[in-house]
Amino acid sequence: MSATVRAMRHVRGFDVVRPVSIGVMLAIMLPLVLLPLASIFIFGTNKGLGSFWAALTAPEAIFALKLSIVTSFWATVFNVLFGVLGAYVLSRYMFWGRTALIVTISLPTAIPTAVAGFALLLLWGKYGMIGQFLSEEHQIMFTPYAIILANIFVTFPLAFGVLMSVFETMSRSLEEASATIGATRWQTFWHVTLPSLRGAIVTGALLTFARAIGEFGSTILVSGNLAMRTQTAPLYIFAKFNEGQVEAANAVAIVLALFSFVIFSILFFARDWLDTD
Amino acid sequence: MQSEEFTTIFGSEENGAQASERETTAAASVRGLSKSFKGTRVLEDIDFDVAEGESLVLLGSSGSGKTTILRIIAGLEEPDTGRVILHGKDVSELPARERNVGVIFQSYALFPRMTVEANIGYGLRIRGRPRKEMRREVERLIELVGLEEHHKKYPSQLSGGQQQRVAIARTLAYKPQVLLFDEPFGALDAQIRVRLRREIHALLKKVNVPAIFITHDQEEALEMGDRIAVINAGRIEQIGTPHEVYNKPETEFVATFLGAANLLLGVVSGQNISVNAILVPAAEETAHFQDGQAVKVVFRPEDVCLSRTGALPEGARRLMNGIVEEISFVGAYERLTIRLDLTGRQPAVNEPPLYNVNAGATDTKTGVPIIVTRPKAEVSALPFNPDDHVAVGLTSFRVLPNFTLASERAGKIVAARK
Ligand SMILES: Nc1ncnc2c1ncn2[C@@H]1O[C@H](COP(=O)(O)OP(=O)(O)O)[C@@H](O)[C@H]1O
Ligand SMILES: [Mg+2]
Repeated sequence: MSATVRAMRHVRGFDVVRPVSIGVMLAIMLPLVLLPLASIFIFGTNKGLGSFWAALTAPEAIFALKLSIVTSFWATVFNVLFGVLGAYVLSRYMFWGRTALIVTISLPTAIPTAVAGFALLLLWGKYGMIGQFLSEEHQIMFTPYAIILANIFVTFPLAFGVLMSVFETMSRSLEEASATIGATRWQTFWHVTLPSLRGAIVTGALLTFARAIGEFGSTILVSGNLAMRTQTAPLYIFAKFNEGQVEAANAVAIVLALFSFVIFSILFFARDWLDTD
Repeated sequence: MQSEEFTTIFGSEENGAQASERETTAAASVRGLSKSFKGTRVLEDIDFDVAEGESLVLLGSSGSGKTTILRIIAGLEEPDTGRVILHGKDVSELPARERNVGVIFQSYALFPRMTVEANIGYGLRIRGRPRKEMRREVERLIELVGLEEHHKKYPSQLSGGQQQRVAIARTLAYKPQVLLFDEPFGALDAQIRVRLRREIHALLKKVNVPAIFITHDQEEALEMGDRIAVINAGRIEQIGTPHEVYNKPETEFVATFLGAANLLLGVVSGQNISVNAILVPAAEETAHFQDGQAVKVVFRPEDVCLSRTGALPEGARRLMNGIVEEISFVGAYERLTIRLDLTGRQPAVNEPPLYNVNAGATDTKTGVPIIVTRPKAEVSALPFNPDDHVAVGLTSFRVLPNFTLASERAGKIVAARK
């Protein structure tokens, strides 16, 4: 089988495999990816831009989008700061339990987001292991802080992974050269290490933001899905759809889709700039 | 061993007091360095000094521990035992950034996001020098290393040789006590390598900063080093001037690592060395040996002279007869393999002594092969063909103690590593 494929590839002239395989890929990917995405744009605009705009500027929709952006932003800030710190420590120092720590940090990637949200509830909820010691007004579950917490839990491994791989492949000799020239640890980090992390930091931040702004499974459990209080954009889409307000859901869906397009484009088209070290 | 090294460093006429005075004025010294990685010894009792303005080359094969020595001097690696002394000050406990040494890494380790200027000025910048002074100094260094046209370029836009010059200028900016070069020419192709070698050699003499070079290339070592330390498996085998290590190797390793060398096993017998049945007169060479001691006779391919008649040039000592086995031309000289007859068979009646050769047929091969090189002029004056019988003499050779008990090994040839 594979031998025939190889033989065909070396035949001069017309190569059957090429058009067939490309055709199959198009036939699969078109209905799988492109058509659903296209349909939200078609549906959103078929009643005219006016109704789309009205749906988008409804106070609840604006609130949901804002909340998503703000909570994702803080999760991104946290991930960049602690991602850099964590990756620096874990790549530059050898200590007992280092590998275990790396595995633990990366673990949430493999956990279903609903399970993650549920676990946070069990820990921080009113009757949870930590939550029970917090007074009524300091409860964090069902507040925007819970959303940030869930976002971090779910997205930290993404930022950490990107940063860690850059730290581990970064030539140690740059930092060593800086040290022999007379720089302190901090000067070396600031002038030498950090500039080399530029691409990784931007990539990690964009990945975090893209993932956090669309987070649903964990958010719906820890936020309580309270309109105008803890309802993020994905939750808004879900709620409005359940209420039968498809236009309202669709308008926000378009905005989220555009967000991800933009982020994806940056990651895709600026990858040379992001890769250089 | 210890005292032998000592005499090679300081010269035998100097007494201990003078030697220790020299020691305090050395630009850099290491004393008794040893280091293990995960239970494997990679350095053992390393001792040497670098004088002010001197270039010392650490020569050894890959994995012999050279880089580790450099890293210990720079403070990037901690030795298990031993001290590092720079200009009389023990810096063993200081971190890398307080040692003020300049390291030119094998990969140059230039900061990729900084321009040539910024790279060179880095040492002054982190020391908080005024902008004006920094500019002037960077300007001076850029001129010194001849990179005037590349101020604003990034390292990735420079050739290997230019990057190396930036790396050197970057270290010179903060006036290091000693420069450490880790295989500086390893990443460059052969043609520029020779040119850069000369340039850097000249530059070092100009700035008069002591330097330690690492290389595995014997030619490079002979050219760059005021002195050479030959390192084998984490130990220094010999330290001396290029002339000393090449012409007076103290160990078999040194003899074979620097250039090609032939080895014959022998035994000291009075003022001679007996190699099987042949006695080679060696009054001077055997002076330090006892009668009956097992030795190795070491000689370079160019120290062998051949003759058809048995008459050898003035000063050459007759070794034995041999058969020309193989001839090849290697550029400017001819390279022959001669199979020596070690049996020393007595001449038969009417047989001229020169043809008294019994090295066996080419398939049985009882004799010992040696490598001989001859310059072109000599080749045309006295051409040889395979199977010719020749008298073999030596213009000079070294006698080394034979510690190995591999007595069944009658002789061996180790060709140059390169
Ligand atoms: N950080 C390290 N960990 C473990 N082994 C090392 C380390 N650095 C060097 N070695 C080992 O020490 C030996 C000497 O290395 P090195 O000093 O780099 O040799 P050279 O520079 O002469 O090639 C090698 O066998 C190498 O594998
Ligand atoms: Mg090395």
